[in-house]
Amino acid sequence: MKQNTVTWFKSGAPWVWGSAATVSISLLMVVSLLVMLAMRGFGHFWPSEVIEIEQPAGNTFGERKQREEVPAQRLRDMGMELPESVEFVARRLMKTGNRDVTGQDFYWLLEKKIENAKAPAEVVVLERREWGNFYGRLLSVKEAGELVVSGDDTYAELQKRLARSDELFGQIEEIEKHKIGAINYSMERLRLKRRALELKGALDKAAEEKIRTKRDSLQKEYESYQSELQALYRAIERDSLVIETADGQPFEQPLRKIVRAYQPNKMSLIGKLGFYFEKLWEFVSDDPREANTEGGIFPAIFGTIMMVFLMSILVTPLGVIAAIYLREYARQGFLTRVIRIAVNNLAGVPSIVYGIFGLGFFVYFLGGTIDQIFYPAALPAPTFGTPGLMWAALTLAILTMPVVIVSTEEGLSRVPKAIREGSLALGATKAETLWRTVIPMASPSIMTGMILAIARAAGEVAPLMLVGVVKLAPTLPLDGNYPFLHLDRKFMHLGFHIYDVGFQSPNVEAARPLVYATALLLVVVIVVLNLAAISIRNRLREKYKALEN
Amino acid sequence: MENSQNKTHSIDLSNLNKAEGAADKKAKKTCFTVSDLNLFYGEKQALQTINIEIPEKSVTAFIGPSGCGKSTLLRCFNRMNDLVDSARIEGQILLDGEDIYAKQMNVADLRRRVGMVFQKPNPFPKSIYENVAYGLRIQGVNGRHVLDEVVEKSLKGAALWNEVKDRLQDSALGLSGGQQQRLVIARAIAIQPEVILLDEPASALDPISTLKIEELINDLKDDYTILIVTHNMQQAARVSDHTAFMYMGDLIEFGATNQLFTNPSKKKTEDYITGRYG
Amino acid sequence: MDKENQSRHISKQFDNELEEIRNRVLAMGGLVEQQLAKAVAALVEPDIEMAEEVIRDDYKVNAMEVALDEECTSVLARRQPAARDLRLVISVIKTITDLERIGDEAKRIARQAIDLASLPTKKNQFVDLERLGQHVCTMLRDALDAFARLDVEQALDVAIEDQKVDQEYESLMRQQMTYLIEDPRTIPATLDIMWSARALERVGDRSCNICEYVIYQVKGKDIRHISLDQVEKDFGRK
Repeated sequence: MKQNTVTWFKSGAPWVWGSAATVSISLLMVVSLLVMLAMRGFGHFWPSEVIEIEQPAGNTFGERKQREEVPAQRLRDMGMELPESVEFVARRLMKTGNRDVTGQDFYWLLEKKIENAKAPAEVVVLERREWGNFYGRLLSVKEAGELVVSGDDTYAELQKRLARSDELFGQIEEIEKHKIGAINYSMERLRLKRRALELKGALDKAAEEKIRTKRDSLQKEYESYQSELQALYRAIERDSLVIETADGQPFEQPLRKIVRAYQPNKMSLIGKLGFYFEKLWEFVSDDPREANTEGGIFPAIFGTIMMVFLMSILVTPLGVIAAIYLREYARQGFLTRVIRIAVNNLAGVPSIVYGIFGLGFFVYFLGGTIDQIFYPAALPAPTFGTPGLMWAALTLAILTMPVVIVSTEEGLSRVPKAIREGSLALGATKAETLWRTVIPMASPSIMTGMILAIARAAGEVAPLMLVGVVKLAPTLPLDGNYPFLHLDRKFMHLGFHIYDVGFQSPNVEAARPLVYATALLLVVVIVVLNLAAISIRNRLREKYKALEN
Repeated sequence: MENSQNKTHSIDLSNLNKAEGAADKKAKKTCFTVSDLNLFYGEKQALQTINIEIPEKSVTAFIGPSGCGKSTLLRCFNRMNDLVDSARIEGQILLDGEDIYAKQMNVADLRRRVGMVFQKPNPFPKSIYENVAYGLRIQGVNGRHVLDEVVEKSLKGAALWNEVKDRLQDSALGLSGGQQQRLVIARAIAIQPEVILLDEPASALDPISTLKIEELINDLKDDYTILIVTHNMQQAARVSDHTAFMYMGDLIEFGATNQLFTNPSKKKTEDYITGRYG
Repeated sequence: MDKENQSRHISKQFDNELEEIRNRVLAMGGLVEQQLAKAVAALVEPDIEMAEEVIRDDYKVNAMEVALDEECTSVLARRQPAARDLRLVISVIKTITDLERIGDEAKRIARQAIDLASLPTKKNQFVDLERLGQHVCTMLRDALDAFARLDVEQALDVAIEDQKVDQEYESLMRQQMTYLIEDPRTIPATLDIMWSARALERVGDRSCNICEYVIYQVKGKDIRHISLDQVEKDFGRK
């Protein structure tokens, strides 16, 4: 028997099993992480059943949220009356909405109290632009204060009118955000231009006249938009609806404030699925609302990708050039060894340190200098002398540069000497050899460096908080106003969004699912970025594969 | 060991050999003249006072045991040793009377005149066409018409045209070892060098490919001066007109190949080519 | 160049093969030498039995030549010998051809011996022939000796010796010529003796060839068709 164990060990089988086990554990962890994020996060968008909860103070409607088992003693300590024999009780978080009415939209309820709760089919959920959801029974729809319809047809009429108000809202949004935004931007540029001329002492009559006429035309345009807006506001204010809470209090809500209304208890499975994907799409494509606890996270996704792109564009040439110098041109000796050690150690410096460096060097020093030289007109308001997209990208470029340097050097050292000699023997200079042969052959390694850099940069949050990320950016860093890419703007980032929603949100319960969903999305974004880089690398590798042997 | 030379009535035949060698050399001009060449790697001397005159438009083979300095010497002819930081050179190498180690000599130009083919085929990871056109593109020649012509001519010159003419745009890495080596030779002759240095060009190839390369060398010697380093004595005997035997950084013997392989004048040469302990 | 001082090949097998070839050449040489001595003895005695033995044994010489030829071919094909080794194999191939011819000459002499035994001869007709025979035998032995020891000096001596053999042969021929004129009855016998002398002279030439091969083998210099004076000058003797 002992002999058997010994031979089994000698056969190497235990190591095979061991490594298989570790691989499966790693896989399992990755999968369960994704599954957990998906379940917690994306369950949020499902239109769950609304039940009527009977309470002594008056009935309420509510959605079932998470369930947990708690020791009965804890609840007794909180003053709840429970029979002595019970040790654990199940309780459930209910989302009751109507925050403007009751002041709280989530509370815990003992599971057994809602075991037999009814789910009235006629319940309507209003998703509002402010104050969260409203649950109630629809009574009537009004136009300019006059009753239009009540009774059975109310819901259908409501949907019709909602569609109208939605479109109007879109128009308002378009004018407010884009058209008036563009005018404001142009006005600001005009002001800066005038100020710049003033500073140069070149502001003569003609120039001022020109600027004034331009400003006047902009002003006129602005006023026309303003009046258009007012008309739209009047139009959107027209309709309202009356809804009553579970305990019979009627409330009037203007349609302007309502995103959508739906009756979850009446929905079929397909209807629910459609609703689900609509919400999901809204999540990835819309701006956030209500302190980031509602709406979408599109600006954060966009900001993250934008920042990573910029970072890659900055870090690749820097890192590659540094690596080429270190490997190909520098005399190999004590100094290069010191530099290599330094580079390797830089990779281990905590990222927040880079953030501080970025803030101190890039933002205050570099940015301040740039402002003084190129944007004196805007002073004292800083242009680049404040955290922004460019500084964030640069800081992360510095942060990830060691990775690129190391893997590029690795790739350069793997290019066979024979190839370099072959090129040199044909009368190529060293630079020509590098450019035409060596660097293309090292490109898979350069891509590997970029992949690692992207993976690290996309996940960094700490340094970004110092150099450019904000919880809510009013504009995207890329838009239709010249010069289109605004490197000086602050931006939103998925990582920071998670932190903000999870820890800084006034409404923790409402935000929690969004934290998970955003986290999953962050993972997805990183995976997509990586996959793109990996597929490019693999293509390059295929091209140069025969050199491996 | 030099007993044959030390006998009182020793018989000296070297006069006869020299007479033959001289007759052969007179027919051809000298391509490289090496005088008192010493090469050091740091403290270690790798070549010791080499003197040799290499006739043009013929094949000169360098043989000798590993580490004897034959490759090092070969790399002196196109200054490949410049790439080694610790290498230091004394003495002179003249190419058509021009000192290749002179200050005004442009190394890239020199390497265009003195092409080199290495032990392992080293095609670039590009298409066959681009491999051959590489040297010209470096020189700034990009005209499609010119390149097409040169590529075809070079591939024909390297006896590879018929095998690859239908797949010029395929990767060169898909060729067999022997084809790759001929491609590398085509790449070298595409820039019209005067000299081609071959550093054990067939040592990584199978016998048939080796024979093809040898046949190619024989064809090329009408137009180019060829210097070949080889481990394979039979190969040196087969392809070369002149053979130099090197040992421990010394040039022991240099003479007509026929002479050297039937009746070498130095005992070391004899021991080496007959496969005896030194 | 003594054999002991010769460095060995890296391939011991190659050494063994070359040694084997040399040994067999010497064995063949020994056999041929013996054949020649017997033939000469049979001629002088005359001894028909011995002569028949010589004729009978000639096949051995032929067989040895064929076997050695084969061996040399295989060494050429498999070892691709160069320089000294190449010259050894080449000279062996040539030497064995000459040895075989010497064997043939011995056989011819033996035939003449049988023929002569039944013919009337003068008593002192054989004296010069015997001396010539012995001289040639010595030459052959010396040539083989030079081959065995790769002794250029001795080989050169043998080559010079051949000139003496030629002189001896000529004087023998003149002498026999007088017999022919003196006594027509001895004509058949005298002709046989002349044929035998001719054969012996040929053996001398072939021994000389063997020595030339020895010189080629050692010095790599082909001295055939060069006057001996010139050769001696080249070799620093004069």
